[in-house]
Amino acid sequence: MARPADRITRRDALRLGGATLSALALPGLLAGCGGAAAGGGSDILRLAQSADPQTLDPQKQGDMVSMNVLVNIFDTLTAATPQNTIGPGLALSWTALDPKTWRFRLRRGVAFHNGEPCGAEAVKFSIERLLDPETRSPIVELRFVEGATVVDPYTVDLHTSEPDPILPAKVSLFGGVILPPKLLAETPPEEFARAPVGTGPFVFESWRRAHEVRLRANTDHWNGPPGVGGLVFRPMPNAASSLAAMQSDELDIVTGLTPDAALQLDGYPGMRIESHPGIRTAYLSLDTEDGPLRHRKVRQALNHAVNVPLLIEAVLDGKARELPTMIPRESFGFDKAVEPYTRDVGTAKRLLADAGYPDGFATTITASNEDANVAEAISGLLAEAGVRAKVALLDPGTYSTRLTSANKRALGPIYLAASTGWTMDGQSLVQSNVRSDRRQSRWDSAEADALIDAQEQSVDPEEREEAFAALQRLLKKEAPFVFLYQLDNIYARNARPRWEPGVTGSLTMASAELEEA
Amino acid sequence: MKTLPILRAAAVRLGSAAVVLLCVATVAFFLVRLSGDPVKVLLPPDATAAQEATLRASLGLDRPLAVQYLDYLWGLPRLDFGTSLFYDQPVATVLLERLPATLELAAAALAVALLIAVPAGILAAVRRGRAGDTGVMAGVLIGQSTPPFWVGILLILVFAVQFRILPASGYGTAAHLVLPAVTLAIYSVAVIARLLRSALIDVLGADYIRTARAKGLGTGAVVLRHGLRNASLPVITVVGLEVGSLLGGAILTEQVFAWPGVGRLTVEAVANRDFPLVQATVLFFAATFVLVNLLVDLSYTLLDPRVRVAE
Repeated sequence: MARPADRITRRDALRLGGATLSALALPGLLAGCGGAAAGGGSDILRLAQSADPQTLDPQKQGDMVSMNVLVNIFDTLTAATPQNTIGPGLALSWTALDPKTWRFRLRRGVAFHNGEPCGAEAVKFSIERLLDPETRSPIVELRFVEGATVVDPYTVDLHTSEPDPILPAKVSLFGGVILPPKLLAETPPEEFARAPVGTGPFVFESWRRAHEVRLRANTDHWNGPPGVGGLVFRPMPNAASSLAAMQSDELDIVTGLTPDAALQLDGYPGMRIESHPGIRTAYLSLDTEDGPLRHRKVRQALNHAVNVPLLIEAVLDGKARELPTMIPRESFGFDKAVEPYTRDVGTAKRLLADAGYPDGFATTITASNEDANVAEAISGLLAEAGVRAKVALLDPGTYSTRLTSANKRALGPIYLAASTGWTMDGQSLVQSNVRSDRRQSRWDSAEADALIDAQEQSVDPEEREEAFAALQRLLKKEAPFVFLYQLDNIYARNARPRWEPGVTGSLTMASAELEEA
Repeated sequence: MKTLPILRAAAVRLGSAAVVLLCVATVAFFLVRLSGDPVKVLLPPDATAAQEATLRASLGLDRPLAVQYLDYLWGLPRLDFGTSLFYDQPVATVLLERLPATLELAAAALAVALLIAVPAGILAAVRRGRAGDTGVMAGVLIGQSTPPFWVGILLILVFAVQFRILPASGYGTAAHLVLPAVTLAIYSVAVIARLLRSALIDVLGADYIRTARAKGLGTGAVVLRHGLRNASLPVITVVGLEVGSLLGGAILTEQVFAWPGVGRLTVEAVANRDFPLVQATVLFFAATFVLVNLLVDLSYTLLDPRVRVAE
C-alpha cells in the first residue's frame, strides 16, 4: 500500500503544472535580447538553396542541390569553364586512345584536405567505388564505364563497354568527383558522409542538418585560395522567407528562383535580381503513335500554335530563351542554322484542317504542379488554334514515377518536360527520349535512330556535329515534340557578392568575391 | 490500494495504444507505397531500366510486399525503422537529429499560447458581454482564421526586415525561436482562450462560486482559486490535444522559418517517397497523440477527485 506521501496529489499536480509553465515561458522571454544573427561585413558568403543536401558523400547523391555544396569541397576530373566548355579539373588533358578507352593525365602535387596525395590511384578508387553496387550510387551517367587502370601515378585510363564520346564532360560533376582512398579505408562511410574530405577550394567545417553547411577556404588549393573566406549554405524551402532573410542581412545570395518569385521581388531596396543564361530545356512530349498526334501536320500545327516568345514574355517574365529544337545554345551540337517555328495561329489552323481536324480536337497536357503556370498558358495558346487541351497536374513525385514508367502513355498524349543537360553536350538532351528503343521515346523513326547512333558512337567531334545538325533538322520537320525554351538561372543577391555563374547553374563559388563592407 | 486501478487502466490504455499504433503503421506502410516509386525519384529520368533494377534490389524494394511488411513490423518493437532511402542513414538517426528543434518549438509555442490564452480567457469570462470580452474574442477569432504562413511572413517583414530586432529564419539561439513560436502559438491561443472562457463562464454561475462570494472572498480569489481550478479540466484536455498538433502541425511554420524540425522532414520524406522515413514520421506523430491523450486521461484522476477510473 502506498503511503499518502508517495502519491501525487491534485495540489502537487497543479503546482507542478505551474512551475513547468513558467520554465517553458523563460526562453520566450529571454529571446528578445538576442537580436538578429550577425554575418554581414565578414568574408563569409551565405547562400540559400531550396533544400538541404541529401548526403555529403558525393557518390551517394544525384541531385543538383547536394552537388552544389559538394562541388566546392571536391574537385572533379574535368570542369565547366566560364566559356561553357569542358576544361581541366584534376585532369589536365584527356584523349580517346580508342573509342572505348579515355586516357586522363592528372595534375601533380594535389592533396586532399587531410594531406593525403591525390593521383591516379585515387581516381581508380573513386571510379570503382562508384561502380560498386554496394555503394548504391544514384549517379547514372557512367553507365558504360567498366573500370579504370593506373598507367603511371599521374595517368589513368577509363574503359567503357560502348563508345562514350562525352565521357570527359560526364566527369565534370557527379561521377567525376575524386575521393581520398586511404581515408575511406579507415573511415566508415556514414562518418565520411557527415564530414567529407576532398581536394576542392573549400574545406568542410560543419553541417547541421536542415539548418546550414559551413565551409572554409582551402588556402592550399592548387588553383590558389578562393575569393572568399568561407561559405554557408542554408536550405530555405520558402522563397519569400529566403528573400526576407536576405533583406535582414542573413543571406547574400538566394539561388534557384522561379521567374514568379523574382518578379515579386524586383525593385525591393538592397536586392538585385540577376538573370543569367541557363540550359534547362523545356519541351512538350507528344505521343506520335496515337490519335491526332500521329499526323505530322498536327504536330507541326501545335508548334506553330504555341507562341513561345509570348509565353516567355507573359509567364516567364522574359527570363528564358526560345529554342528551335531541344538542344540548347550552349550545348555541343547546337545548330544555329535551324530556325524556330514561326508562331502563327492561321498556319496552325490550316495544318490542322489539312490533317482532317478543321475543328481542332480535345486532348490533355500533363505537367508537374511546379510547372502549372506554363502548362495553363500553353493550353490557352493551343485553344486559339482550336485544340482544347485540358491541363492535368501531378505532384512531382508522381510525375517522375510516371515519366519513366514502362507505360509510355502514363503521362497522357502530351506532357510538359524539362531537363538540364549539365554535360553541355546535345546528347544529354536527346539520349532518353528520341531513339525509338529509349524509355521516354514516343517516336519511331529509323532516320532519327541512325543519327542518335552516329553521335553516340563516334568520338570524332566533326562527325558528331554533323549528326546533331541533321537530327535538329529532322526534329523540326517531324515535330515529335513541341519545342519551347531554355530557362535562365535566376538569383537574388545583396550588394556584397560578385559572382558570375555558368549556364549549368551549379554553384561553384571559388571565383566569387565579396565587396569590402 | 488506490493506485492499482490507475495502473490497470494505464495498462489497458497502453494495450489499446499499441493496437492503434499497429494500425497506423500498417496504413502508412501500404498508403505510401501506393503513391509512387522512390527509385524513380532517386534516379534521374535518363537512368536505364537496368540501373533502376539494380538500385531497387540493393534497397530491398524488389522483395515481395509481404516480406517487406513483416520485416518492417519485426523491426518496430526493437525501434529499428530501417534506413532512409534518400539520406542513406538509419531512420532513427535522421529523426532524432530533427527532434530537438521540433520539441523546442512546440514547447515555446505552448508557453506563448498559455501565457496569452489564459489571461485572455479569464478576462473575457469575467468581463462577459462587455468591451473586454468582445475585444478579446475578436482578436482571438482573427488569430484563428489567419493561416500560419501568412502570419509568419508578416512577422518576418515587421520584426526582421523592418525593425531588424529578430532573425528572419534559421535555428540556434533563443532569438531564432521567437517568431516561429509566436506564429505557431496563435492558433492554439484561440482554441484555448475560447474554451477557457466558456468553461469559466459555466463555473462562475455555479452555486459554490456564489457561496465563495458570500463568505466574502474577493473577485480575484474567487475566479482564480475556485473558478479557474474547476474550469481547468476541459481546458487541459484541449491543451493536451494542442500539444499533439503543435508537435505535428508545425509543417507550414517550419517551412516559412526554415526551421530544421520534424515537420519539414516529413514533407521532404513524402516528396522523395522515402518509404521508411515516411512510415517512421507518421508513426511518430501518431505515438505523440496517443501518448498525450493517455497523459491527459490519467491527469484527470489527479486533478479531479470525482473522476475515478472505471474498474
